[in-house]
Amino acid sequence: MEDHLDFTIDLARSLGASYVEARYQSDYSESNFLKNGVPEVASFETKKGIAVRVIANGGLGFGSTNQMTKKDLRALVKRVVSLAKESARLRKEPIHFAGTDPVQGKFEARLRVNFEDIGLESRVLFLQEADELAVKAAETEGIKLVGRYLSLDTWTTEKIIMTSEGAKVYSKVPRVALDAFLSAYAEQKGVMQRMINLGESCGWESAERWDVPQLLQAEVTDLAKVLLKSEAMKEETSDLILGPEVVGIVSHESCGHPAEADRMLGREAAQAGETYLQRDSLGLKVGSEVVNVVDDPTIPRSFGYYPFDDEGIRSRKRYLMKEGRISELLHNRETAHCFNTVSNGSSRSVAFNREPIVRMANTYVEPGELSFDELIEGVRFGVYLKNFNEWNIDDRRFNQRYVGLEAYRIEDGELRQRIRNPVLEITTPALWSAIDAVGKDLRFSAAYCGKGDPMQGIPVWTGGPHVRLRNVRLGGST
Amino acid sequence: MRAEDICQTVLRTCHAAGVSDAVVAVTQSESTMIRISNDQITVGDALKEISALLFISDNGRKAGTTVVDLSKKGISSAAKKLVEAAKKGPGGGLYAPLPKGPFHYDQRLLESESIPIDPKRTVAWADEAVKKAKEQGATRVAGSLTAENGRVTLQTSGGAFGVSKRGGLELSLRAFNGQGGSGHSVSVTGIEKEFQPGQAGEEAGRLAAMAGEPEKGEPGEYTALLGPMTFANLANQAGKMASAFFVDSGISFLTDKLGKKVASEVFSLSDDPTKAGGYGAAAFDLEGLPTRRTAIIEKGVLASYLHNSATAKKFGVESTSNAGLVAPHAFNLEIGPGESAFEELVSSIDNGIFVSNDWYLRYQSQRTADFSTIPRDATLTIENGKLARSIKELRISDNLLRMLSGVTSLSKERKLIKWWEVETPTLAPYAVIEKVKFTRSRM
Repeated sequence: MEDHLDFTIDLARSLGASYVEARYQSDYSESNFLKNGVPEVASFETKKGIAVRVIANGGLGFGSTNQMTKKDLRALVKRVVSLAKESARLRKEPIHFAGTDPVQGKFEARLRVNFEDIGLESRVLFLQEADELAVKAAETEGIKLVGRYLSLDTWTTEKIIMTSEGAKVYSKVPRVALDAFLSAYAEQKGVMQRMINLGESCGWESAERWDVPQLLQAEVTDLAKVLLKSEAMKEETSDLILGPEVVGIVSHESCGHPAEADRMLGREAAQAGETYLQRDSLGLKVGSEVVNVVDDPTIPRSFGYYPFDDEGIRSRKRYLMKEGRISELLHNRETAHCFNTVSNGSSRSVAFNREPIVRMANTYVEPGELSFDELIEGVRFGVYLKNFNEWNIDDRRFNQRYVGLEAYRIEDGELRQRIRNPVLEITTPALWSAIDAVGKDLRFSAAYCGKGDPMQGIPVWTGGPHVRLRNVRLGGST
Repeated sequence: MRAEDICQTVLRTCHAAGVSDAVVAVTQSESTMIRISNDQITVGDALKEISALLFISDNGRKAGTTVVDLSKKGISSAAKKLVEAAKKGPGGGLYAPLPKGPFHYDQRLLESESIPIDPKRTVAWADEAVKKAKEQGATRVAGSLTAENGRVTLQTSGGAFGVSKRGGLELSLRAFNGQGGSGHSVSVTGIEKEFQPGQAGEEAGRLAAMAGEPEKGEPGEYTALLGPMTFANLANQAGKMASAFFVDSGISFLTDKLGKKVASEVFSLSDDPTKAGGYGAAAFDLEGLPTRRTAIIEKGVLASYLHNSATAKKFGVESTSNAGLVAPHAFNLEIGPGESAFEELVSSIDNGIFVSNDWYLRYQSQRTADFSTIPRDATLTIENGKLARSIKELRISDNLLRMLSGVTSLSKERKLIKWWEVETPTLAPYAVIEKVKFTRSRM
């Protein structure tokens, strides 16, 4: 394959491209899906092809094909270079990439259990065992699971990235993911839904370690209690403890996304939007001093793991917020040039046929030193919002909403009755500034972050420990 | 291999293995996308792909794959592996034999004119759109323009065979006014002569100018006037939840509501892929059935779910020709028009909010339709029958079924919407909806 990439680079250079990046990417995936306990279609797919990205006359062109003969590649490269040159006509300033030392490297994940060793029957059984326990738990608790989806996906991503500047990196990363959607009903109490997402960059051993049957049994038991026992609340101002799942989505939505430099430059303005941060926001205080938010693609086994980004830059940990201040943006080489800095390896694409763009990897609040009990002890009157089921945020990442699912009243340092669907609707600086204490129990959830046009849903982890907020306005049950 | 030969090879392999049902769809597509930000082209994308979708059901044991190695060896190997997977599968899901053909397809739907995808033409369209938005006072413009041609060759073990050649043009443009206001517009069509990049630019620019310098809106209950982009997003949700797959799963807010009132009498929603030249036009579904118009909601009453053969069998009805790989889906949604002009709708509202666009719609419960979504771009108060102050930072936090039931009037003007937030092309009017709940951050 390397000779095809070499061919692509040489041809694009000969046609006038000043920079060329060629990528071979193959994603082999297998998926199984259970609908209300019944197996639906089993599928497998190899998605592979070559992508080429060029700068020519100051314009940027990207192209891809899954027909990898030299004839097809020749046609593609001609089209991409021509498109870049034509695009340059509508540019005031030529596109430049920040300089970098070309990286040469290789990474191949080691698996304990290969995906191919797990047959179709085993995969379906894996889901069915979990589904059966979920149904039993619902019966025990006296509720009905009126809708339930369970899906299991395994896939292996193999990439070779070469650039005209001499970068050459190879990586092979496996991923496994389990997604569950549960809709529970109880007479007189209505319906509640719960989404659970697990994902790691690992072999089948991850799926076994999750103990999905026990996990679903516990989730359904909790869901039943939420449905049957939670009480409506009125609007109030109180202290608030957020669970790791909520802290994760907050980190992703209101710290990770605003820190994407391409948003700041307006590159996503018509789709995923922009950011409330400005070009001079580095150092801006948006949170309390106890808050540190990190994005780190190098965490072993993490869902958002990658050793090199799609521009051939070695990945590294980034502090997006340090002691409450904006500390670093996520950059690719193009945005880095605009900000007179260097890339911190944030360029990713979800498949061979997608342009690499600035993405998060694993975004989380760094843990502090307090236990959960110590956090609760400090609350005289408040709410514990353990997880959530509805959320959204505006396209500048300033106003957000999280509707709690499992939630409790806190009185005099102790958890009391369950509360139904408390609503946190708050601005980004108000949320981060209200945090006065950070727990030590770091946990992660898996997610697919949506961005780009065409849309690219890319694997990430979101996470954090429990955190405590003071004097927050909470909306009543909806 | 030629597409027709790929189909034959797969069907022969499946037949020899005794598989009851097989579908092969060979898809070829070539597109150019121009992405714009700050009035400039940020990147031009040139994409070309050929792949074959194989789907088989061995008496209900279903398996599917997508193949990119289209050599005889690659196709044969994929087909054999698929048969093996289906035979090993536990089955038990919804199943009905594939419809028996051959079928006759509407020639006007099988072939539309080719769309230019060359760099010069696509860049010129982008340029025109940007210039028109700037003429309306926009300080900067962002968006994306896609020109695409595709060919689908479909053959089934039921005897269906069709070749469809279709093109499409899609422009999504957002204009900013430099004061915190913005406007968004689209132009979406299957026919080049109907593509209106300049008009979309003008509208985005005009909305951005209207948006002025927005101030914080006040939360509360208002009569809402939703623009076509916002209303299309809501109707898309109804179209998606009308899929019998989601209904059967028990996660749709339209479950158990067939024949019941789910919206106001002025609201009708249909799926109609039979309009020649339409962006969402299609001659056949993935089971090879000729497409047809299906009324989903008629004068507020849920008239039909969207079916493939398997869901139709379970519900005791005929397929509506909406088969996808697993779940039935809408091709091209249409909301019935009203009788009013936009100005008449505005003048009918004493205390309301005009929402030209929205994004990030999420459910608290898909089954109950409790949800929220965030207005973005031009959002204005309506005071005593006139568009008044530009506002920001509000959220619609309501119930989708309640909102559909609160529709009081629609415009006669409709616009075809498809963009990042609206997946299925949807022809939507402006809509007046009573008592919509708007919330705002409390801190």
